[in-house]
Amino acid sequence: MKDLHVSIEPGRREVMIAAGAALLPLPFASGAEAATLSEAPLGLGRDQAFDLDWRFFRGAADGLEAPGTDDSGWRRVDLPHDWSVEDVPGGQPPRQIGPFDKSAVGGTATGYTQGGEGWYRKHFRLKALPADARVEIAFDGISVTSDVWLNGHLLGTHVHGYTPFAWDLTPHLVRDGDNVLAVRARNIGRNSRWYAGSGIYRHVTLNIFPSPARIARWGVGAWTRRILDRHAEIDITTRIDNADPALTLVTRLRSVQGKIVAEASTPAGSAVSQSLHLDAPQLWSPDNPYLYALETELRRGTLVIDRLIQPWGVRIVTMDAANGLRINGTAIKLRGGCIHHDNGLLGAVAFADADSRRVLTLKARGYNAIRSSHNPASATLRAACDRHGMLLIDEAFDAWHAPKLKDDYSKYFREDWHAALEALVLSARNSPSLIMWSIGNEIPERSTTEGMAWCWQLANEVRRLDPTRPATAALNGVLGDPIIVSEKAARPGFGGKEDEASAAFLDVAGYNYRLEDIEADHRKRPERIIYASETFSHDAYDYHALAERAPYMLGEFVWTAMDYIGEAGIGATKRIPNKGMPFYLAQWPWVNAWCGDMDLIGHQKPPSFARDVIWGLSPLEMMVQRPVPEGQVEFVAQWGWSDELPSWTWPDASGRTLAVRLYCSGDRVELRLNGKLVGTKALTAADKMRAELPVPYAPGLLEAIAYRGGKEIGRKRLETVSAPARLRVVPEKPRGGSDRHSLSYIGIDLLDAQGRIIPEGEVKVRLMVHGPAELVAFGSANPLAVGSIQSAEARTFRGRALAILRSTGARGSVRIEARAEGLQSAAATVRLA
Amino acid sequence: MDAPLYPPSQAYEQPSVVPHRMDTTTTSIAALLADPAAKAIIIAEIPTFMARIGNEQLKPHLYNFSPRSLVQFGVFKTDALDRVDQQLGRLPPTTTFAK
Repeated sequence: MKDLHVSIEPGRREVMIAAGAALLPLPFASGAEAATLSEAPLGLGRDQAFDLDWRFFRGAADGLEAPGTDDSGWRRVDLPHDWSVEDVPGGQPPRQIGPFDKSAVGGTATGYTQGGEGWYRKHFRLKALPADARVEIAFDGISVTSDVWLNGHLLGTHVHGYTPFAWDLTPHLVRDGDNVLAVRARNIGRNSRWYAGSGIYRHVTLNIFPSPARIARWGVGAWTRRILDRHAEIDITTRIDNADPALTLVTRLRSVQGKIVAEASTPAGSAVSQSLHLDAPQLWSPDNPYLYALETELRRGTLVIDRLIQPWGVRIVTMDAANGLRINGTAIKLRGGCIHHDNGLLGAVAFADADSRRVLTLKARGYNAIRSSHNPASATLRAACDRHGMLLIDEAFDAWHAPKLKDDYSKYFREDWHAALEALVLSARNSPSLIMWSIGNEIPERSTTEGMAWCWQLANEVRRLDPTRPATAALNGVLGDPIIVSEKAARPGFGGKEDEASAAFLDVAGYNYRLEDIEADHRKRPERIIYASETFSHDAYDYHALAERAPYMLGEFVWTAMDYIGEAGIGATKRIPNKGMPFYLAQWPWVNAWCGDMDLIGHQKPPSFARDVIWGLSPLEMMVQRPVPEGQVEFVAQWGWSDELPSWTWPDASGRTLAVRLYCSGDRVELRLNGKLVGTKALTAADKMRAELPVPYAPGLLEAIAYRGGKEIGRKRLETVSAPARLRVVPEKPRGGSDRHSLSYIGIDLLDAQGRIIPEGEVKVRLMVHGPAELVAFGSANPLAVGSIQSAEARTFRGRALAILRSTGARGSVRIEARAEGLQSAAATVRLA
Repeated sequence: MDAPLYPPSQAYEQPSVVPHRMDTTTTSIAALLADPAAKAIIIAEIPTFMARIGNEQLKPHLYNFSPRSLVQFGVFKTDALDRVDQQLGRLPPTTTFAK
C-alpha cells in the first residue's frame, strides 16, 4: 500500500494514516505536490504521478497517435518538459544562439524562442481493476493547444494553455495489456505576447477510481463563513458523480499534527452541503500561513471509495473603500508583484521547488502578493503561495473576443471561455492565498457594447462559480463612457448609479499605470475599490505613499517582480547620441524583459534595492550609475531603470565624476571616499527617499552613512575589487530531495583574490556534476542571447551564474565542480535524501 | 466577523450612456476617431496623429487609450492635446457608445 500524501509538513502524513478510520486499502491523495513518483504498475488511487518515462518527438507530423507508431527512437523525457528552452536543433550562431532564434515568429514577444509542434507518447499497463473502475488522466497545463489520444482514439482537444483539464480514459482502455497515450502539443504562430513555452510543462496525474461514484473533479468548495469568539464556521459544498443512497460523505479538518479538529458526515447526494464548526481555529494569513488538511471522504458502508485531501486555510478576506483590504480583521496593503509563469532558466516548467523558490525569493524582499499575469497559475505556484503566505490574484485571460495578436486565444474565446473560467475557479477556489479572480488584462474593446456584455458575463460567471471572492480586471488607459447600469444587471447596491463602462461590473478595479487617476477617480466614485494592477518600478515611492494614505487603494503590483523570458528589453537601458531621437527599441539579441525587480536567476536588481528602502527592509542602499560616454545620454525604457550597480569598480572612469545614487529612509546621508567626506545631503519628503551625489572617481572604499535625527541608522560600503581570481560554488541549500521532481539551485560566483564578487565579471564557466542529479539549466541573468541555457558551459553575468540540478531519483551526494580558464576552480557538495 | 459574498446579478441589460463631452483625457482614441467632428479637430492639430497610433502593439488598444493616457509613453505631447481639448469642449455632448 502506498502512503497517503498531502502537501504539508513532512511527518504529518504518517500521523494522518495512523489517525485514519477504516481505510480501504487504496491510496487516495491530492494536491499537485502530493503525487508519488513511483513507476510501479498502476492501481487504484487519486493523483498518481504520471510524469516519468514519456517519449518525445519535436516536429510536426500526422498519425503519430497510432498505437503501432514506432517511438523507440524518440527521446525519453520526464515531465514537466518545455522544448522551447532547448537549443535550436542545428542552430548556427549568430542567428541562432542556444534556444534563441533571430527569425522566431514570436520575435521579441517570446524572447526569440521557437514554438512549433511536438509529440509525446507514454506506454503503461494497469493492475487488475474492478470491472467498473474508472480511469482519467489529468493535465495541469499543456502549452499552447493540445490533442490527446488513448490507443489511437481521440479523447479531446484543449485550447487554453494554462488551465487544467482531464480526459476519461475508461472507454478506450486495454485493461489487461499495453496502453499508449499520445499527446500532440502545438505552439503555432504569433499567439502570445510573452514566453509561453511549449509542451507538457506542468504535472500529469492519473486518477483511478474503483467505481463510477466519486467526488466530482474540483467538486469540493470550502469557505470560512464566520469567525467569532475563537470559533470558525466553515461551509462546504461537495458534488458527487454517480451518487446513490448507500453513500456517505465525510468531511473533516485535520490539524498539522493530524488530529481531527472538525468533522461532518452526511448522506451523499449529487450535491451535498455541510458545515464544520471549529474551535480555537489557527487562522491563515501571510504572516502565519497555517494549513489544515481538508479531507473529503466518500464511503459505501465502512469502505472508503474516494478520498480527496487538500491543504486549506481558515481566513476571511474583506475589501471595501472605507477600510481597504483586511485579512481576519487586520488591515494589510498589497505589496505585490506581477509575474509571468516561466521559471527563468528552466523555461515554463512548473516544478514545486522552482515555484517555492520564486515565492520565497519575493517574500524575502517584502512582497506579500503575486498577480499571476496573465494566465491561471500552475497548481505548484498556487501551493507555494498557500504554504508560504503569498496572496494571489489569478487571471483568466489576456484577450476576450478581440485579438491582441492574430493567433492568440481570442480565436477560441467565444467557444471556450466558460470551460476556461470553470477550470480556473473550481480548481483553485480552495487555496487560501487566492484573494481575487481577474477576468482579464488590458482587454481590447472592453468598453464597447460587446465588451461590456462580455465583462458582465465573465464577472457574473465568476461570482456564480465562487461567490466568496471578488471579480477584478486589470484596466489600462481609460475606463470608457460614463454609464448607468440597471438594478438587474448591477452588482448589489450599484444599480442606477453612474459608473464607467470598464469598471461597472467589477467588484474591485485594477489600474494599470494609472497613478495620476487614482485619487481623481476616487473623488468621482468614492465607493470604488482600487489597486494598482501594474506599475512602473520608478513609481514605487508614490504608490507606497498613496496606499498608506488612501484606504480605498489596496496596494500595487509592480511590472514585474522578476525578470522573465520574452517581451525582450522592455526595461532596456541604452546609451544613445545626445543629439539624436531619444528613443531605443530593443530587438535581437535581447531575449528577456529586463524589467524585473529581481533578475532571471533571483538576484536583486537596482529597483529592488530602492524598494527595500521604500518598504522599510533597509534604511540605506547605494548604487552608482555606469559612466555615460561623452556625447551620449542614457535612454531608459518605460519599464526600465537607470543603468546603475552596487559597484565602485569603474576602471575606465578614472578622473571622471560619477553619479552616486542613495536610497535612504533617513533625513541625511553622507558619502566618504577612502575616509574623506565627499558629499552630504539632507533629505525631505520631496526627495522621495532618493539622493544623488556627484563623486570624482578614485579606486578604494566608498562609504555611505544614513542618519535620522542625528543618529546613524545605516551604513553601506562599496569597494573597488581586483582582478578575477577564482570561482565559488554556492548551493542554496546543503540538502535536497532525491525524488525526480526535486531541484537543487547552485550559485556560481566569480571572485577576486579577496573573495569579493566581480560586479561586471563575465567569464566562461564549465560545470561538472557527479552523482545522482542531472544539470537541467545553467546560465545567467544576462538579458541578451549569449548561449545555451542547458549545456554545461555558461558565461557569468555581473559576476554570477546559476546551475539547476534535477535529482535522478537516487539518494546520495552530488558534487558540483566549476572551472574557468586562468581561475582557481571550485566545488561543492549537495546531499540528496 | 462574517465573510462577504459577491452574488451574481440577475440578468444582463445594456447600460445607458450618460451624456458627456469628449476630451483627450477620458475619451478613447477609437471614440474620438468615430466622431467626424472630433476627428477633424484632432487631425488639424496633430497631423501625424494616425501615424502615431499606427503601430501593431497599440492598435488593439485604441478603445482603451485616450490620447492623453499615451503621453507617459511619449506618443503625444500635452500642449497639442490642450489645444484639441479647447475645441472638443465646444462640441455638443455625446449620448452614444463608441461602438
